[in-house]
Amino acid sequence: MIRSQRINVLQHVPFLRGILKSRLFQPVLTISTLFFFTLAIVTGLFGTPVGNRNFGIVFVWIVWWGLLIILLVPFLGRLWCAACPIPVPGEWLQRRGIINRRKGRLSTLRWKFPKRLRNMWLQNFGFLGIAIFSAIILTRPEVSAWLLLGFSLIGIVLSILYENRVFCRYVCPVGGFIGLYSLMAPIEVRVQDPAVCATHTPKDCIIGNEYAYGCPWMVFPGTLERNTYCGMCMECIKACPKNNVVINLRPVGSDLMVAKERRLDEAYKAFIMLACALLYSVVLLGPWGWLKQWANMDTLPHWLAYAGVFLLANLLLLPGLFTLTTLLSRRLGGIQLPLRQLVTDYAYTLVPLGLTAWIAFSFSLVFTNGSYAVAVLSDPFGWGWNLFGTTESAWTPFGSSLMPFLQTGILTAGMLFAVNTAYKIAGQYTPDPRRALRGMLPIAGFITSITFVFLWLYLG
Amino acid sequence: MKRELLAIGIVILILIGLPVGVFIYNRQHTNPDSPERLITIQAAVPEAGGFQPSAIKVTAGETVTLRFTSVDVTHGIAIGPGLGIDLGHVDPGHVQEVSLTFEKAGTYTFYCNTWCSPDHWRMRGTVDVIDPANPDAAPSPYHDPIIEQLVEEGVNIDANTTMDMPDHPQPDVLRFDQPASIEQGHILAASLVIPTELADTEWRLTHTPIEGLALLENNNPSISMSDLINVIAYMWTSDTPPEDIQWAEEYYNKNCAACHGQTGEGNGPAADQTAQSPVAFADFTYMFGMRSDVLYAKIRRGGMGTDMPNFGTLLTPEETLRLVGYLWQLAFKDRPN
Repeated sequence: MIRSQRINVLQHVPFLRGILKSRLFQPVLTISTLFFFTLAIVTGLFGTPVGNRNFGIVFVWIVWWGLLIILLVPFLGRLWCAACPIPVPGEWLQRRGIINRRKGRLSTLRWKFPKRLRNMWLQNFGFLGIAIFSAIILTRPEVSAWLLLGFSLIGIVLSILYENRVFCRYVCPVGGFIGLYSLMAPIEVRVQDPAVCATHTPKDCIIGNEYAYGCPWMVFPGTLERNTYCGMCMECIKACPKNNVVINLRPVGSDLMVAKERRLDEAYKAFIMLACALLYSVVLLGPWGWLKQWANMDTLPHWLAYAGVFLLANLLLLPGLFTLTTLLSRRLGGIQLPLRQLVTDYAYTLVPLGLTAWIAFSFSLVFTNGSYAVAVLSDPFGWGWNLFGTTESAWTPFGSSLMPFLQTGILTAGMLFAVNTAYKIAGQYTPDPRRALRGMLPIAGFITSITFVFLWLYLG
Repeated sequence: MKRELLAIGIVILILIGLPVGVFIYNRQHTNPDSPERLITIQAAVPEAGGFQPSAIKVTAGETVTLRFTSVDVTHGIAIGPGLGIDLGHVDPGHVQEVSLTFEKAGTYTFYCNTWCSPDHWRMRGTVDVIDPANPDAAPSPYHDPIIEQLVEEGVNIDANTTMDMPDHPQPDVLRFDQPASIEQGHILAASLVIPTELADTEWRLTHTPIEGLALLENNNPSISMSDLINVIAYMWTSDTPPEDIQWAEEYYNKNCAACHGQTGEGNGPAADQTAQSPVAFADFTYMFGMRSDVLYAKIRRGGMGTDMPNFGTLLTPEETLRLVGYLWQLAFKDRPN
């Protein structure tokens, strides 16, 4: 870790420590989002079935999604997870309270979460399971509401069975990709001096103390080197008696270079997210209406064919192509490492590419459909209300002339960052820059080709 | 402890108070203290269920608010017959409502008047207005003198044209090599001998232009056939006042043009989806062999096996006659000699 490239935010903005140390910090966020979450479920279940007139669809899949992928994840990493309302009912039940630190252990059955599931695979398959139904979930308020309610119920059940945020860490399909893409964020929660933690035996940040709970994400801040599994709940800042936990600003994508923690489940998350961005762009934004109908389950055979191709592309096609590319890279770079390790390592080059692809996709989604939010604010149920006088505001796509430039810009930036990452990763295998360059060339070709496919899809 | 209780209170308020508050607000919004009954009717394409509910009951004299909302595509909402209610478009997720009092017992129909699907014409619902003094009374049978007269006369309403009937005159003098001109006919009419029956509106209602042409020719042997046709065109289009024609044109464009075409060419966007090709009212030859009362009957009763829906439950007899008047306009108007 290059500490010289970090700026300790708490040192420069001292009052922020007070805010983060307050036990009100997270409840204020989660109670606020719980309000909108509840409204989204109620509107989904009881409001109009017309998606673009229902708060549950417009505010979850356009407004929230746009905020998450365009602003929150790229700039603030997993901060959304600190505000997310889905797991909080379960967490409050565990803690038997909302704000205060209650004495004693968490109220759960204390089952042990299976070791073989302590990874991202559940999140990967969960995300794919939802993704194949996405055309339905994104347009049908009732389905969307049941899904959100289902997430919350799963969160409660897991909180009853297991300690801490097992749902967020191992199950939440959204949390998986937020964790992966938070590797890119220019912000991190880290300890200022790992030596302090090494010598501080009570480990308040793990077991908790009178001021805070032990890390709900089951992470030890003292050795934390990546954002992936830090939910930014700030309990460790509250707990640390040494004030050793801080928030740093850092170079974008710093975590991508942490070689020792790269894993195949995360690599697959990168494949899945990139393939989904590509397929969503084709299905939801492309001119092929029949494809949208297939995804929308116009007939069961059509949908089965669509789902089959979708899963094939995610689980075999893209990873397969990438593996072939990596094989070529290994040969050109003369790198003597197992293929599986190389594929896993190089897959992290797809993190910046995938994130920027999702941002480009979300530009289309938000710019084109964002104006629905104005009408829905006044009539969230589609029942003919006019709370703020904006019910009849017309659908007005905005920024359509600007969008191609934004999409080209962000995709190009993602491509260059990914290529640079590939070069750096190759450099971790060999001190010879020329071999590193040769090794990264096929990966760079892969990245560039994927970027051109996106540009072709968006710009025509 | 205070703030913990406050937080718990806020959470309970959100989880329970928000949904409850929403429904209370909605009740207030729809004015529960008002004696008016609110009936929400959800519109979907007929393939997805049409109007829900599709049948409602109200009492004569009762004021009700009918609130229409669309759940799929843009629909148009009208209520008839004789109420003159056209709420216009209801876009998906939007709401259109009307408060009205049905003074007389009977059956009214709410229907979609915007082409919404191949089965658009099925998209109807009924309002049964019950007489409070006699709520169990069966609806009285409907009598339509014009249709009953046709039946008595033995006219086949489903015949393609009246000329198809064996006892109908089949003049061989008719030549439609030039389009008719209503304006020319208007000018010429003053200088011709118009037989008494031809001058009679009731006679023209029950006879074809060809029959009128034969009469006119007998009384004006020196006049050219094209001039006679112009006069007939004028006479068959002069019965309906301009304001009625304007109403009928709007009604036709909303309810008939999808099949019959806006200019009556029989080539509307849905023309290829009907069991039989829609009639082209702009077909001069066809209309010369057609009677107004037969057109009237076809509109009110619908066309057997043709996919032509009945409009008798949507229009009053007077409104139907206005529409017939507009069909003659389609046959003859804007075709300069």
